[in-house]
Amino acid sequence: MLQAMLSSLPSLWRGLLVTIEVAVIVVVTSLLIGVVFGAVMVYGPLLLRLIIRLFSDVVRGIPVLVLIFFVYYGLPVTGLNVNNFAAGVTALVLFSTAQVTEITRGSLQSIHHGQMEAGKAIGLTFPQRLVYVVFPQAMRRFLPPWINSVADAVKGTALLSLVGIVDLMLAIQQVIGRTYEPMPLYILGALIYFVINYSLSLLSRRLEARYAHFRE
Amino acid sequence: MYHLNFGLIWRYFDKLDWGLLLSLELAVASIAIGVVIGLALALLYDWGGRTTRTLVSIYVEFIRNVPLLLLVYLVFYGIPTVVNLQYDATTSFIATLSIYAGAYLVEIFRAGLVAIPRGLIDAGKAIGLTPWQRLIYIRLPTMFRVVLPSLSNTFVSLFKDTSVASVLAVPELTYGAQWINFNTFRIVEVYTVVTPMYLVTGYLILGALRQLEKRFAVR
Amino acid sequence: MSDPTPDNRPVVRIRGLKKSFGSLTVLDGVDLDVGRGDVVSIIGPSGSGKTTMLRCINALETYDAGSVEIDGVEVGFRTEGGARRRRSERELAPLRAETGMVFQLFYLFPHLTAAENVMLGLRKVRRMGKAEARDVALKWLDRVGLAAKADSLPYQLSGGQQQRVGIARAVAMGPKVLLLDEITSALDPELVGEVLEVVRKLAEDGMTMIMVTHEMAFAREASDRIIFIDQGKVAVAGTPAEVFRGQENERLRAFLSRVSHT
Repeated sequence: MLQAMLSSLPSLWRGLLVTIEVAVIVVVTSLLIGVVFGAVMVYGPLLLRLIIRLFSDVVRGIPVLVLIFFVYYGLPVTGLNVNNFAAGVTALVLFSTAQVTEITRGSLQSIHHGQMEAGKAIGLTFPQRLVYVVFPQAMRRFLPPWINSVADAVKGTALLSLVGIVDLMLAIQQVIGRTYEPMPLYILGALIYFVINYSLSLLSRRLEARYAHFRE
Repeated sequence: MYHLNFGLIWRYFDKLDWGLLLSLELAVASIAIGVVIGLALALLYDWGGRTTRTLVSIYVEFIRNVPLLLLVYLVFYGIPTVVNLQYDATTSFIATLSIYAGAYLVEIFRAGLVAIPRGLIDAGKAIGLTPWQRLIYIRLPTMFRVVLPSLSNTFVSLFKDTSVASVLAVPELTYGAQWINFNTFRIVEVYTVVTPMYLVTGYLILGALRQLEKRFAVR
Repeated sequence: MSDPTPDNRPVVRIRGLKKSFGSLTVLDGVDLDVGRGDVVSIIGPSGSGKTTMLRCINALETYDAGSVEIDGVEVGFRTEGGARRRRSERELAPLRAETGMVFQLFYLFPHLTAAENVMLGLRKVRRMGKAEARDVALKWLDRVGLAAKADSLPYQLSGGQQQRVGIARAVAMGPKVLLLDEITSALDPELVGEVLEVVRKLAEDGMTMIMVTHEMAFAREASDRIIFIDQGKVAVAGTPAEVFRGQENERLRAFLSRVSHT
């Protein structure tokens, strides 16, 4: 059993790198777009709010796998011939962006309107109010769920194995195909995912404790 | 130029409507078993000593931090190689999703138990109820009302997670969609139909459970 | 009222102020002049429009008709070649810096210390440097008796202390008029005194103030003038002695008798 685990390490390592690469791209992109979308949902004009709301509700209302299949098989039809990596990443970016939009919206809305008023009363402009009054307070509500969504993104990468992207999950499958010993590899794979996501979860709890003294 | 042709979708629609039904069945079965697991472990956690708590935590943290897909493979392909058990894909998936659900539900039930106002328990003690009676007549009923919103969200989540069963060729909705995709190449049409199927079902479930919440609302 | 030459032009001048929320008319033609150094108290039943009127002065509410001027400058609208246009958010920011408001629920910024709360406006709106802003902030915190709490966070302060920081935050900006919106209504009774003491001192030092208040005794003692607002209009106006004594207005009588067991 140990022998099987050891000899599979190089393939698994390559798969892990792909997993991390995808996760990083997804997390960074969805953070940038999602925060903007979330802010627009709270402060923007009605039409934009509705469009973003539609996007967010639809994407979050279907399974991730369906989204991945739809994007992977559907994109070539529109004429865009992207490789499977780009398609998979796009699908996960869409999913993660919808999540980040919701998290941002929730954290911004949780700030009492009195804070905006106090900011107005001392003469701050709208951008100043967002930066100095609202965002610092919203952070506390934003970070824990956002770190959760990062863990979700990492777990989501496993589904990309179903469209041929050689991430950690597919690497595990491939090694099993060669060695015919499923259990050791599944356990090893589980441990690797566990270490990554559990660390994120601990970070999230640390942050929640740190901000706990804020109190409304 | 791609020409939309929904005709083929309607021809094979039985794959989708029976698939949706199976997805719901999988979800219901998993949450039912999951509730049993989750509740039992939450009470055990509340009641037990350090070792129990650690064991429960290990279970919860392990399941929650590992992708569902990996768990599905592990149970279906892995376990039969080390233990002398035989089961089909559907049974395997329900077992996996139940264990998965259980891990999330433990946390929800624990939070619910903690949220019960001290005063209610003290009132129970004051009229002479035993710990077991307090559990059955006060704590559990109150807890259920409190966790109902979280339960609804979890149920819808699990319903969406049933799509992973498609990798084991369990003929639920996503498998049906992929079947139609591979046999007719009508990718856009099939997912245009399947997307609202998931969405509407999800909203209906939430709506129905919201009605339930109203009936049992915590004052 | 006052002769509108620059020297004794009223600091705040309201004419025919009207405001409705949907079909509900809250302000139905309010006139008011507030001169430099005046302390004006606004009293009246709930829903009479007192707070709305105050919030129109620093453009936290928009008004539908009439005019509100601070030192001659109209707050809600500007005239562009004959047409009256509502001011945009960007235009309002510098105007709001000229008024100070203290809120019933304090609305201190919970992520900033007392000193930082006071400094935020000084640094970002008055564009002071960090050291200078801190000096000014400490000076005002000292004036309200909280120099020792300069580096405390709001959750570490009592209600009365938080409100005093709120006052310092508003006054440090050097506003032309200070607007006080029921600033003691949310305080425990034993904390009200310390806040009123600060307001009294500010009045003595010549701060122009408009306060909406339920503290009748304080209004009587500290104000130059009292306005009784009822159903969106100024029903009675005069000196404290006039208003509290000459009870020709029946609704005022009723209101005072309801409130007077304080």
